Amino acid sequence: MAAINFGYTISRPRAIDLDRNNLRKSDEILREMPELQTCIGCGSCTAVCTAGNLTEFNFRKVHTLVRRGEYQGAYEEMNKCMLCGKCRLVCPRGINTRGVVLLIKRKLGDF
Amino acid sequence: MSFFAPFCIPFLVGAAAMFAVLAWKWGSWLWCLPRTDKRLILRGLPTRATLEAVGEVVGESLLHRRIFRINPLLGYMHMSLAFGWFLLIAVGWIETMACLGLHWVPIQGHVFFRYFSTGLPHVAAFDFLMDLLLLFVLSGVALAWGKRFFSRRMGMRRTTKHVPGDRVALTALWFIFPARLAAESITCALYGGGGFLTGSIGAWLGAHVPEFGLMNAESVAWWFYSSCLGLFFVAMPFSRYMHIFTEIPLIFLRRYGLRSGEKATSYDEFQVEACSRCGICIDPCQLQSVLRVDDVQSVYFLRDRRYGMLRREVADNCLMCGRCAEKCPVGIDLNTLRLNARDGLRNVPDERRYDYFKGLDRSSGEGKVGYFAGCMTLLTPRTLSAMETIFAAAGEQVWWADREGGVCCGRPLKLAGETDSARRMMRYNTELFRKHGITTLVTSCPICLKVFREDYALDGIEVLHHSEYMLRLLRSGRLALRRGATRFTYHDPCELGRGSGIYDAPRAVIEAVGELLEPEHTRENALCCGSSVANTAITDGQQVRIARSVAGELEATGAEVVVTACPLCKKALGRGTAAAVRDLAEVVAAELK
Repeated sequence: MAAINFGYTISRPRAIDLDRNNLRKSDEILREMPELQTCIGCGSCTAVCTAGNLTEFNFRKVHTLVRRGEYQGAYEEMNKCMLCGKCRLVCPRGINTRGVVLLIKRKLGDF
Repeated sequence: MSFFAPFCIPFLVGAAAMFAVLAWKWGSWLWCLPRTDKRLILRGLPTRATLEAVGEVVGESLLHRRIFRINPLLGYMHMSLAFGWFLLIAVGWIETMACLGLHWVPIQGHVFFRYFSTGLPHVAAFDFLMDLLLLFVLSGVALAWGKRFFSRRMGMRRTTKHVPGDRVALTALWFIFPARLAAESITCALYGGGGFLTGSIGAWLGAHVPEFGLMNAESVAWWFYSSCLGLFFVAMPFSRYMHIFTEIPLIFLRRYGLRSGEKATSYDEFQVEACSRCGICIDPCQLQSVLRVDDVQSVYFLRDRRYGMLRREVADNCLMCGRCAEKCPVGIDLNTLRLNARDGLRNVPDERRYDYFKGLDRSSGEGKVGYFAGCMTLLTPRTLSAMETIFAAAGEQVWWADREGGVCCGRPLKLAGETDSARRMMRYNTELFRKHGITTLVTSCPICLKVFREDYALDGIEVLHHSEYMLRLLRSGRLALRRGATRFTYHDPCELGRGSGIYDAPRAVIEAVGELLEPEHTRENALCCGSSVANTAITDGQQVRIARSVAGELEATGAEVVVTACPLCKKALGRGTAAAVRDLAEVVAAELK
């Protein structure tokens, strides 16, 4: 049966084993930017994202995965960001999202 | 006549060390300049620029006219020390020449002339003049002491926190002139001569102190004076007093057209070391006045950069609003230095980055006039629809560059220090504009405007801010507005005002629809909204606190509507006030006839 295109997709379900993932980088990131823990995952950042409008880049997804210790490809994904700063203005928790982008790139440059 | 006494040694050693370090520093900086800069210097040397630079050196390095404009007493303090000391040296040389004729005298002979000239007949005019100049300098030293305790009287709410090396140099400088006064007075007490100051003190000492005591004191006093000079000279090239000699070449190089850019060059060293750490940049900084952050201001940034201890937190914590640069008496390009320091800390060239730009074109419409909304305008859709209304009312055929989404102008990334990647965005947008053959580019975002004008190569395309564009439409009669009784106040966006020099166009547009009230800080002194894209360090709460303080000042004008001409300022101010905050385009679109 051909899949019906509703104009959006969802991520395939999968399990993340926090005991297996190395959370050292994630801990470092949260220590430098503790406000990231207040994220409620509303996705406003992604909704207004300039880069997300043009590509598959999804800021909420990337920083959520990084916090879970899933670093693979995070640096390359974050590099799609143009740092325009709209996400920062719409974040209901007032998270310094531009700082998060720069921090994740700095910490995960070698992953 | 021999011009040598053992006490001269500290002075001579200090002076030799100072000139050696100076020659090495200047030489290496000039040597390392990019070839294009060297060519600019060679081309500029035989032109009027050289003469103008000499004039500026006299006006700024000696007289300190820009500091007088900030506060007359502060200006007098700096002038009396710089110009007074210069005159002491210059008149001292003339005095030796007048006494000895055109005869070579070693440098210590000039500096300690009063000591060596006891056997020569005195010229009363020179005695008087030299005492007057010494008094002039001493008054400056007294003010410098006073400034430690009463800085507010001299127009400075806060003064610089100094590093130990600076304190050593500062202490030596404070003692030089009192020591000179003491040494010359004692010599006058023993051998006579001297003017109203040293002569009178000398006469009093001669009457009250036994000659044996004076003979011992004379040797101690001259040794102390020479040691203070020597210590100051040794400390000078490594302390903030390096500015005394660095500001002079900086003025010349600036007149020849050298500028700092997004990549650091050795010209930056001239700018960094020309900072005297006077601290005038501290008071205008809103991070200081509102948030009480007191270690990131330009004076501290330049200090940390100079001594190689610049931390990312300091480099990043700046709104780049330009309020400090506006006040800097040395005219240092503070924002660009901050920017290329960030480039050094963060720039990672990546050839594959932004590959997704390839073949991207979401523009729509056709016309010779292009409109670039920019990211922030897309986040403030009222501005965008107001621009649509205005374009329609003026009957303009518009090419919409990014109404359906597009690539950022590149300035936010550049300000963060990723300059090479920002260039990729600039290249993409330039090609997009060229492809659609526009001749005018209108943008409602001052951040985009500044980067279009300064970093894009858009020859043949006129770049206009929407305030300039709307004013042009009004003047040519293509737009007609109703003028009402509404009272507006205007917030100058940093990138538009200080950044691009556009102050009058938005004001003229506002005056076409209503009354304009100016806030306390306006035009060149306007405050920053606090949400500048240049700052990635402060928190959301801190941004809102700055916005509140700015909004408070705007509300105090009694205006009903706060107008600004930047979508980011609009968003930021809206977070700090319950009053109506509108973009200039909204105000115009609402009053179209």
